[in-house]
Amino acid sequence: MKKNFILLSILLFSILWSCQTEKKVPEKQEYLRWVGDIEQNDKVDTSDFKICNGDDNILQYFNLGKGPVYKDEKLKILHTFNSKYKSTRGSNENGLIRIRFIVNCEGKTGRFRVLQSDYNYQEKEFDKEIITQLLSITKEIEQWEVLYKNETPVDYYMYLIFKISDGQLTEILP
Amino acid sequence: MKYFSLLIVLFSCLNLFAQPNCEAYKYNGDTLKYKACEKAMKIKGHYQFSKEYQTILDEAIEIDPTFDYAYWAKSIAYLKSGDFVTWKKLIDKAVEYNPKEHLGYRGWCRYQFFRDYKGAIKDIEKLDSLVDYDIGQSQNGTYHLNIAKGLCYKAIGEKKKAIEIIQKQIQLNEEEKFLGTYDYLHLGVLYFETEKFEKAIDLFQKQSKTNELAENQYYLSLAYRKLDKISQYEASLVKSKELYIQDKKMSDPYSNPMDKIYLENIENEIKQHTIMK
Repeated sequence: MKKNFILLSILLFSILWSCQTEKKVPEKQEYLRWVGDIEQNDKVDTSDFKICNGDDNILQYFNLGKGPVYKDEKLKILHTFNSKYKSTRGSNENGLIRIRFIVNCEGKTGRFRVLQSDYNYQEKEFDKEIITQLLSITKEIEQWEVLYKNETPVDYYMYLIFKISDGQLTEILP
Repeated sequence: MKYFSLLIVLFSCLNLFAQPNCEAYKYNGDTLKYKACEKAMKIKGHYQFSKEYQTILDEAIEIDPTFDYAYWAKSIAYLKSGDFVTWKKLIDKAVEYNPKEHLGYRGWCRYQFFRDYKGAIKDIEKLDSLVDYDIGQSQNGTYHLNIAKGLCYKAIGEKKKAIEIIQKQIQLNEEEKFLGTYDYLHLGVLYFETEKFEKAIDLFQKQSKTNELAENQYYLSLAYRKLDKISQYEASLVKSKELYIQDKKMSDPYSNPMDKIYLENIENEIKQHTIMK
């Protein structure tokens, strides 16, 4: 009994101490090379997707000054999602979903990541059916525009933002 | 077109304007902000997305957690990578500590990056209520913020209000000889969509004189078709395709502007017309 009391006291003290120290010393944010860098995660990412020029040289889509680029223009992407996405009936899901990924030097994609929020920019989780659909349609797009820097094809980050209102896909950005 | 060039020159210098004057904080006796500002200026030469840039700004915030510039500067990379959650947290802080400086920017970004029409309207109108001077241009210089606000009203279905706002601002822009690159086109499209075709044509013709675009000729052709002016309709449609191929079309480095069209739109219109003949 006495032993248990001592153990409990130590535990309580350490919890209180850890809370205190957390308040006193704010945790410093650790950054990767660039904001939004996506590291390979073997648990979720396929191993057949290859970065051509190394992770340290992956650019953002707009670094090449061409704006948001889509193979055969954005209209094709809109047609693809409009024909494949089935809105969840009676759904009251609202907000923004971003799917970000890497386009490699061959125009192939990998390392998909999802960010979700309501229309007040507060993180939330959408109905899984919505996310699964958007993710699989995005992954099915076989070819993306190949971007060049000094005549060398590069790897770059691209994203799609989906606006969802009452479960319906209302806009795709950028 | 000359006004367009002027805008480009002006706004390519925006980063210079955006930098705070650290000495002003010192002069006003705000030592903490002065120190935070001096620290923040060390971002010079680092890319907005980089670890170094973000870390320096974190240190500036540690010195003075109310230093709005640091939050604003940090937010840019999150905005451009589409991380609306982190961006919003950071830009909200900047707005909290300096609303007059950042409300217009936040409103514009809500529109440009996330098509958050209601949020953009709210921010721009809030700014307007706080200041007695002109609320100014969007960050990229494409629009006066009132034009952007008008476009947001259009997007939420309030076309009459959008026309009033944009018309009024265009008049002011004309007086100042400082027209936005797409001002006439947007107003023309609004008139077209509300079936005021003669007025729409008048606006598209004005747009042709300032900054000709494939979109402008495309909508002009549609207006001519509505008025059964078939030869003008055909000529504008052909011109629209030519302009598109020459890359004279609406563009933005981070998004697709409202009223933008694609080659497929033009070709479908041509195809449909050929079938109807």
